[in-house]
Amino acid sequence: MAALEFLKTAELLKQGAEARVYRAEFLGKPTIVKERFPKRYRHPTLDEKLTHRRTTQEVRSILRCRRAGIHAPVVYFVDYTSHCIFLEEIMGSLTVRDHIASSQQSDSGVEQSLLQLAERVGQILAKMHDEDVIHGDLTTSNMLLRRSQKDGESELVLIDFGLSYISALPEDKGVDLYVLEKAFLSTHPNTEELFEKLLKSYAASSKKSSAVIKKLDEVRLRGRKRSMVG
Amino acid sequence: MNHTQDLELFPAHRVTQMLFKDVKNAAVLRQSAVDGKISGALINPTMLVDPFQVLVAANKAVHLQTIGKMKTRSLYSEIIFNLSPTNNISEAFKRFGISDGDESVMVVVVHKKDEVQLLSDITARVDGRQVPVEDVSSLSDPAKIKKLYKIAPQEEKCGNLLDAVVCRMATKDVM
Ligand SMILES: Nc1ncnc2c1ncn2[C@@H]1O[C@H](COP(=O)(O)O)[C@@H](O)[C@H]1O
Repeated sequence: MAALEFLKTAELLKQGAEARVYRAEFLGKPTIVKERFPKRYRHPTLDEKLTHRRTTQEVRSILRCRRAGIHAPVVYFVDYTSHCIFLEEIMGSLTVRDHIASSQQSDSGVEQSLLQLAERVGQILAKMHDEDVIHGDLTTSNMLLRRSQKDGESELVLIDFGLSYISALPEDKGVDLYVLEKAFLSTHPNTEELFEKLLKSYAASSKKSSAVIKKLDEVRLRGRKRSMVG
Repeated sequence: MNHTQDLELFPAHRVTQMLFKDVKNAAVLRQSAVDGKISGALINPTMLVDPFQVLVAANKAVHLQTIGKMKTRSLYSEIIFNLSPTNNISEAFKRFGISDGDESVMVVVVHKKDEVQLLSDITARVDGRQVPVEDVSSLSDPAKIKKLYKIAPQEEKCGNLLDAVVCRMATKDVM
């Protein structure tokens, strides 16, 4: 298969449980290729079906976000036979994770800029959920900061929609936020205030936030009960 | 003035684009394409934002040809079809193919490294002035493109027109 042959020469960036991510030049542009490989323990037909669905869901979510004005990588090409997605490489960017970590290390005074960033993340996630896109794997590593080509302001780009899907259910949105909360607070110690700010901004920006926040509270409670039993 | 790009996924293939202005024989050219006498796609440049848009369409066409899943009868009609945001083949030809009265034309050829004769054969047929392929952006009609691809102003906040167009072309089969 052409794509798999091509990937042998590409630079492997990440080997995940479901997919491999590569960097390569494609049609002359710096490109990220995400390859979903077969899972041997699954029945081949079922595996093919699931993999195909994940690939289409990823691509649909990206398009839906971009249509709503949310930054996400441009899709260049999708190969449904080898399950590869070719995406724009977001150049000159930094993960929100690294940004927060380095800001926390340096002196105070950055507090204010981190609070502003948390506010922006909240607004963008509210917009995404209002479009009924559930990201499925929200972490500060799946958010990139890039200087805008237009005005030099920094832009927030959402990436890795590999577990995403479309749903209008407040429960799904609540779980999406819960996943982020867990990841956020465990990656970045002493950031309760920052995450609080993010949620406040989410609540203020989304038209349907009250049902989502209610579900988030329920999911938190379930999580806590489970860990008490557990 | 030709713009040539290797298709990294299909190392034997490359894509060459040639742009012509002041074309006087568009009707003859179109007929030659229909008759299969021109091995190239003849595209209406007002619907193009950038040469990259054509590369995306050509790569997808070669891919679908390789796996035997083209939606149209030839590689060149498939390139034109891939540019269109809809699955209507005759509409794709109407919007993205050239029309008899057109004065500019983008010619797209998929060829092997040593098949340069193909290119001069086409150049010889065009009664017009060849200009750099990059000039296509000065011929494009952004209002018409935005309308056809249904691109709202808010989407342009997260990228340029080319990004929006390419995304739709790449994902149209699952939308
Ligand atoms: N602008 C064009 N460029 C290349 N091939 C074309 C073009 N227009 C028509 N053709 C070819 O001619 C066939 C018949 O086209 P049509 O006359 O639209 O039914 C198509 O399937 C293409 O293979």
